[in-house]
Amino acid sequence: MSVTSKIAGVVVKKTTGLTGLAVAKNPHHVLDVLYGKTLRALQKLPQDAAYRKYTEEIINKRYNLVKTEKDVFELEKKIGCGQIEEVIVQAENELTLARKMAEWKPWETLKDTPPPTQWKWPM
Amino acid sequence: MLTPTLARQLTRAAKCVGQLRIGGAAVAPVRLFSTPPPGQTPPTLPPPETRPAVRKVNSAVRQNLIEFGGYVAECLPKYVQKVQLACGDELEVLISPDGVVPVLSFLKDHHQCQFANLTDIAGMDVPTRPYRFEIIYNFLSLRFNSRIRVKTYTDEVTPIDSCNDIFKAANWYEREIWDMYGVFFANHPDLRRILTDYGFEGHPQRRDFPLSGYVEVRYDDEVKRVVVEPLELSQEFRKFDLTSPWEQFPNFREGGKPPSLTEEVKLPPPKPK
Repeated sequence: MSVTSKIAGVVVKKTTGLTGLAVAKNPHHVLDVLYGKTLRALQKLPQDAAYRKYTEEIINKRYNLVKTEKDVFELEKKIGCGQIEEVIVQAENELTLARKMAEWKPWETLKDTPPPTQWKWPM
Repeated sequence: MLTPTLARQLTRAAKCVGQLRIGGAAVAPVRLFSTPPPGQTPPTLPPPETRPAVRKVNSAVRQNLIEFGGYVAECLPKYVQKVQLACGDELEVLISPDGVVPVLSFLKDHHQCQFANLTDIAGMDVPTRPYRFEIIYNFLSLRFNSRIRVKTYTDEVTPIDSCNDIFKAANWYEREIWDMYGVFFANHPDLRRILTDYGFEGHPQRRDFPLSGYVEVRYDDEVKRVVVEPLELSQEFRKFDLTSPWEQFPNFREGGKPPSLTEEVKLPPPKPK
C-alpha cells in the first residue's frame, strides 16, 4: 500500500512501497511524452501488423485516460494496472519494444519450420 | 434443547430437501428414490468421478491461455512454430531458435504479457532428433498471475542467443546449461562451467555421457594429495534386473501407442504475402 499524507489539503504520495521505484513527480507529463513517442514508433511498422494494431489500441486507450483524467489516484483506478509509477515503467518497456520491433520484423511469415519430429514427445 | 436459530436452520434445511439449487438457479425438484414412477424417465445424473486424485483444470483459465497463446502467435508469426497446452493448463510456445531474443523481449515488455520473472531455464537431450537439445524457458507474470513456457531447440554446434540482456537471471541458468549439455550461448558475458569440478571434461547431462563418468578421484598417501585418474572399475557392473513386478508406467507399455501429453492450440493459417 502506498503511504500518503496531506499537506495544505492536498494529498501527497510519499512512497510507492516498492523497492527502487520512486514517486513520480509529474506522471501526466511523463506518460504523455512516452505514449506520444510509442505511437510515433508504432507508425513506422506496417499497417496490418498484429503487434501494431493491438499495441496502438492499448496505448490509445491509456493515452485518452491520461488526457482526460487529471487526478492521479482516479487515473490509477481507471487504468487498473497498478500504481502510476508502474504504469510509467510499462510504458517505457513498450516504447523500447516498439523500437526494436522495427528491426526484428516479427510480422513476417514463419522463418524456419522445425524438423517433423522436433516437437513430438514422447518419441 | 433447540435454540431458535438452530430450529430455523433445521426447518430451512427440511424445505430444501426436495429442491436442488445449482449455480443459484432453481431447477425442477429431483426425486430422491431410485425407481421412477411409471411413465417417467429417470433424471440424468452427472457421470461418476473416475479420477478423483487428478487435479482438475479450470476451464475459464484454460480458455484464457488458449486465447493468449493465439495472441502471441498472431503478434510474432515469424518465430512461433507451435502453441500447445501441457497438462491441461500449462501454456507452451514453441519457437524457432532465431527468435529467442524477440519473443522473450515481447513477453517481458508488452503491456498484455509482462512476464518479468524468468523462473528457470531447463535443458533436454533427445539424441535421436536432428536438433538434439531443447532449451526450455519458464516465465512468471506477477501482474497477471500467470505462467508461460517457451521452448526452442539447437544442436551441439549451433549457438543460441543468450537472453542475459533481457533477464539478468539468465546468466547462471545459461551457464548451467552450458555445463550440463554443452549448448553454446552467443553473447553471454561470462560463459564458464558452474556446477562441475575444476578441470572437469564433458557435459554430464548428455544422454551419451557414461553413468560412471570418465575419471575417478582418490587420496594418494604417497604423493599426499588427491589424484585424478582415468576410471578403472575394479569390478565390472553386474547385471541387475531392475524391473518391478508392478506396472509403473501403464501408458508406456510396449506395443501400445503412448498418449500425447500435450494438446495443440490451433493457430489461424498464415497470411499469404
